[in-house]
Amino acid sequence: MSDFDPGRRRFLGHLGLLGAGALGAGSLLSACASSAGGSSDKASGAITLQSNLSSPQAKTAMEKLVADFNKLGKGTTTLNTVASETFRTQLPTYLTSANPPDVYTWYAGSVANDYASKNLLLDVSDVWKGLADYPQSLRTLSTDAAGKQVFVPMNNYWWGFFYRKSNFAKWGVQEPKTWTEFLALCQTLQGKGIPPIGIGLGDTPWVASAWFDYLNIRVNGAPFHRELLAGKQRFDDPKVKAVFTKWAEALPYFDPKGKAYPFQEATTALLAGKTGMFLIGTFFADAAPKDALGDLDFFRFPIIDPAVPVAEEAPTDGFFASAKTANPAGTKALLTYLASAEAQEAYIQSSSGIVLPANPKAKAADSPLVVKGKAMLDSAKELTQFFNRDSSDALQPTADTALTKFIDKPDQIDAILREWQTSAEKVFKG
Amino acid sequence: MAVPVSTLPRRRQPRLSPLLAAFVLVPFAIESVWVFWPALQGFWFSFTRWDGMTPPRFVGVDNYTELAGDPTFRGALLNTVIWLLLFGGLSVAGGFGMALLLQRDRRGVGFYRAALFTPVVFSLVVTALVWRVFYQPDGLADTILRGVGLEHLIRPWLADPDTALYAVILPALWRQIGYVMVLYLAGLKAIDPALHEAARVDGASAWQRLWKVTVPQLKGVNAVVLSVIVIDSLRSFDIVWSLTRGGPYHSSELLSTYMYSTAFQGLRLGYASAIAVVIFLLALAVILGYLVRAFREEENA
Repeated sequence: MSDFDPGRRRFLGHLGLLGAGALGAGSLLSACASSAGGSSDKASGAITLQSNLSSPQAKTAMEKLVADFNKLGKGTTTLNTVASETFRTQLPTYLTSANPPDVYTWYAGSVANDYASKNLLLDVSDVWKGLADYPQSLRTLSTDAAGKQVFVPMNNYWWGFFYRKSNFAKWGVQEPKTWTEFLALCQTLQGKGIPPIGIGLGDTPWVASAWFDYLNIRVNGAPFHRELLAGKQRFDDPKVKAVFTKWAEALPYFDPKGKAYPFQEATTALLAGKTGMFLIGTFFADAAPKDALGDLDFFRFPIIDPAVPVAEEAPTDGFFASAKTANPAGTKALLTYLASAEAQEAYIQSSSGIVLPANPKAKAADSPLVVKGKAMLDSAKELTQFFNRDSSDALQPTADTALTKFIDKPDQIDAILREWQTSAEKVFKG
Repeated sequence: MAVPVSTLPRRRQPRLSPLLAAFVLVPFAIESVWVFWPALQGFWFSFTRWDGMTPPRFVGVDNYTELAGDPTFRGALLNTVIWLLLFGGLSVAGGFGMALLLQRDRRGVGFYRAALFTPVVFSLVVTALVWRVFYQPDGLADTILRGVGLEHLIRPWLADPDTALYAVILPALWRQIGYVMVLYLAGLKAIDPALHEAARVDGASAWQRLWKVTVPQLKGVNAVVLSVIVIDSLRSFDIVWSLTRGGPYHSSELLSTYMYSTAFQGLRLGYASAIAVVIFLLALAVILGYLVRAFREEENA
């Protein structure tokens, strides 16, 4: 959901013609609908797989999967890779168009459920009948409010404080377990003249949401967090303010330059030893040079209240299908293939990603980092997705505004939370 | 007294040639589908609540009452006015100044003209990438300030709410000045040198010739420049979006970026359409205001 994307320009070209063009922006959505059509005009026709996995390695991996599936003789699939930001803004258009692509890469959780509640997603309970050995947590995650499965998970990844082993050894510091140890570590690093906590908010302000998510699930627990993001709790609740009180304790240790550059540059800063550690998802390693990968390690977000059951962020990626597909049988065959152990292993081998396959029989890469990540997620009592995945893409900008403002002006927290509640209400209202 | 009909010269029925009709009607048909109809729809959407997926629901003037009480919208409106004044004013002043400096053919003048016009050739997104490198922490801007001993001024230019808007105006100006310069150069070339000659003979100073001869002669160009600037200011979207996305926390938000993020990030297409209507009215008011005044002066003259 992050990268700078020149593909958007095409879209904006339309906004260019100001007066009238500006007014037309809304109807662009409907205008574009006709162009989003797939090639599924016959029940036995080819299936279109619309993919946002546009980074070179992930794209190659998807191409290989599609080629392998086509060899099976259960149908023909064409892969259509779209830049991820374009994909995100166009997804509602794809799904509501008259002749939509059949299968989509996307996220599990409330994002998928939201589309399901509008009857836009194909019921894939049939596919799930063959996925009996998938863990219950993934089944629950893929089930909509009406009790049918609408999502097929492919893999998930984790978030944590990443650091370079060699740097921690050089500075003579250890991984902290608790919040107190964490703050002490920050103080030590700052004493050595190193900005302890790296962050990258310029252009990628959503990275700050990881801090909010983690502090909230450590202080108030995952159930409260989910209710908050679903609009059943208020952002100006004192329990939410408690999250920011904790955050304020760590705020002096943030790298001040982190406000100005994106997370990719924050990664470079971490690898160059210009920051001590960085709370980020494993996808950041895509931007890391290969020789640095072996030196990377991470620790889980420190425990704040031992009484709160440990939850971790484990965003799950996978697929859903359009309810309007002309070839439901072929679509389900493709989804069944994508859920299989061999497909998921093939994906992991071809892609660079440090990810965990969803199929329990599929083998993850056997690097120490992946083993440690898997152990952390396996030991967690609860899993959350990420701010936008547990709520909606529409709520994400309200968080970006509130959190970047808090990092700048922590003393205005009461006003910030009131504003956040107001703008969140507008999003929930629609 | 009635004039006999037969004595009147026979009025030729104005027959429209098919070619002319095609030239008018074909673009009109295309514009209707791609511009007028969506524009009218935009007005309709501004009275609805719509997420782009479920059918729009009519809510009357709700969106407009919400706009009136929306602090982000007020901030964006204020920023747009600041943008219009600063970006517009400085690009006219800069472009006109450069045109005056570079209008006479001297050695190397072509090089300077080309240099000033080059930024116009770049896509705004490329411009944004270049300036982002310039502004980044420990980038060129910071290095220069350090070099001249002003390191206390260093700040995260694009991430500081006090500087973000101005840090975005600068690259936009960098580009626009070259464009306005070319418009004025063309205008200056069209002025009859005899007028200047006559003024000089009458003993007018260089300053008087500038204000009494050159400026009044540029009236036609001014109308073009003004329209271009107003339209460019109100649609200044790409440069802001690629540098700050209206952030940090809406401090560099313009009406255009707010409209985009409301529509395509917040999926509140009805509300975004209401913002679009405001932009449309704003552009119309400024440009119509100028045109009406210009026509009136023409009539009086």
